[in-house]
Amino acid sequence: MESFLTSSDKVQYIIKSFNLTKTLFVSSILIGEAYTGKKALVHYLFPNTPHVSGEDQKKVEVALETYDELIITNFEKLSNIEHLNFNNKRIIATADYIANADLIDNLFAFIYTMPKLIERPNDLNVLKDLFIKKACKTLMLTYENIDKESIYVDLSQNTKSMKRSIYFSLVQQTMKEKEIENTLYQYFDKHLDGNNEYRKYLHLYERPLIRVGLKKFGSQLKLSQILGINRNTLRKKIHEHHIN
Amino acid sequence: MNTTSINFESLVEWDNSPVILFSHKGKILYLNQAAEILFGYVSQKELFDIAVSYAPKYFGYKTNSLTLSYDAFVFHAITVGYENEEEISLRLYHMPRATSPRTIETDRLIDTDINLLLEANIALFKTKNNNTLTLLADHDLPSFKIDQNNFSKLLRKSLNAFKASDSIHISLKLLIGEHLFINHKKEAIAQLTIHANGRYTDSDIEIKALSEKSQIKCILKEYSIGLEIPLIQ
Repeated sequence: MESFLTSSDKVQYIIKSFNLTKTLFVSSILIGEAYTGKKALVHYLFPNTPHVSGEDQKKVEVALETYDELIITNFEKLSNIEHLNFNNKRIIATADYIANADLIDNLFAFIYTMPKLIERPNDLNVLKDLFIKKACKTLMLTYENIDKESIYVDLSQNTKSMKRSIYFSLVQQTMKEKEIENTLYQYFDKHLDGNNEYRKYLHLYERPLIRVGLKKFGSQLKLSQILGINRNTLRKKIHEHHIN
Repeated sequence: MNTTSINFESLVEWDNSPVILFSHKGKILYLNQAAEILFGYVSQKELFDIAVSYAPKYFGYKTNSLTLSYDAFVFHAITVGYENEEEISLRLYHMPRATSPRTIETDRLIDTDINLLLEANIALFKTKNNNTLTLLADHDLPSFKIDQNNFSKLLRKSLNAFKASDSIHISLKLLIGEHLFINHKKEAIAQLTIHANGRYTDSDIEIKALSEKSQIKCILKEYSIGLEIPLIQ
């Protein structure tokens, strides 16, 4: 059986309400940003219910005539929704957004809002750990050897950006010198064109080097000694690369 | 015409208008069935005070035109009378209500456990609000036929009217002794009351429309929403 990981109070109440209405003939819609887990939640709660995407209007209309219980995903893609007949049917819809709040209000008895991932701090840690484990498996890394604290998590697009940033972080953490060189090789191969390219791409090497150096050694004087360059040269480069 | 042998007691007892006989100290000496129901909504003292205030100057009976409203009960006149110093009687006259015959789309009605729908709506409310909410429900209420989708919308809108209230109290009970005739059939009534220290009124028109659609009598007040739901079997 599929599982749905959450410890957010708001999501728990959504699950409770859905569970209570499982036997009732009411229409419900779950609205929330993309990649917040709407479809996963609905499929977890109604594993045997037929589903259809709002991207195909005709299919939805046929399904509504055929089934008494139906999941409609991407509901925001449907047009002429005022003509849909939900009478005595158990309709469970998901939508990334709603264009006409009044129409939705008329059509649906239960209108839920799926909170963004950033609003579910308890879920964040659970999902982060889950994605790290999955990434470790895919990348054939040892979970225990990973520095979890230093993994940067991007939540701008909920689980989509979260997953992507975790994979990137793990790849970056475990890259060898040769792999870094190869990555740069591919990048230059794609972008090298024009004149003054040496100076243009120098920041790719200098900026991370100085940023890490400053973080590690604190003072510019100490760092200039470590790097073996003049203090004034270092100060010039810090200014040039806009490093704080 | 000799009427001394006629016993009017049962006529008064089953009169649709509430009739109450108070002692001079305000104690109830007699009340008919309609008055018994009315006392669910108004205190004994309030009605006694009204009786005393509108009593005729001398022995006899006097009818006054005044509007009194207690919850869903609206009266347009009262008769107060006394024939001795010990007892005073009060009769209240219902305001006539114009009702048009309505047809019920029975094919849309599905046997429903109201507690289930109510709890689902409370859970939905809690996904968006953090207000303190207390529920006092009669779990022995029989299931009844209703349009589940329409009724759920009504519950959602009614609860949402209290979204800014600190503390919300919900009670669900059977209205003892009150019935409604639907399609010539006597049906019991359940009363759902949502009460708080204030509420929004912007959805009142929609609440009224949704109530009407489900044959529900809604009582909209400053601090509460009352729904009288016929338990259609």
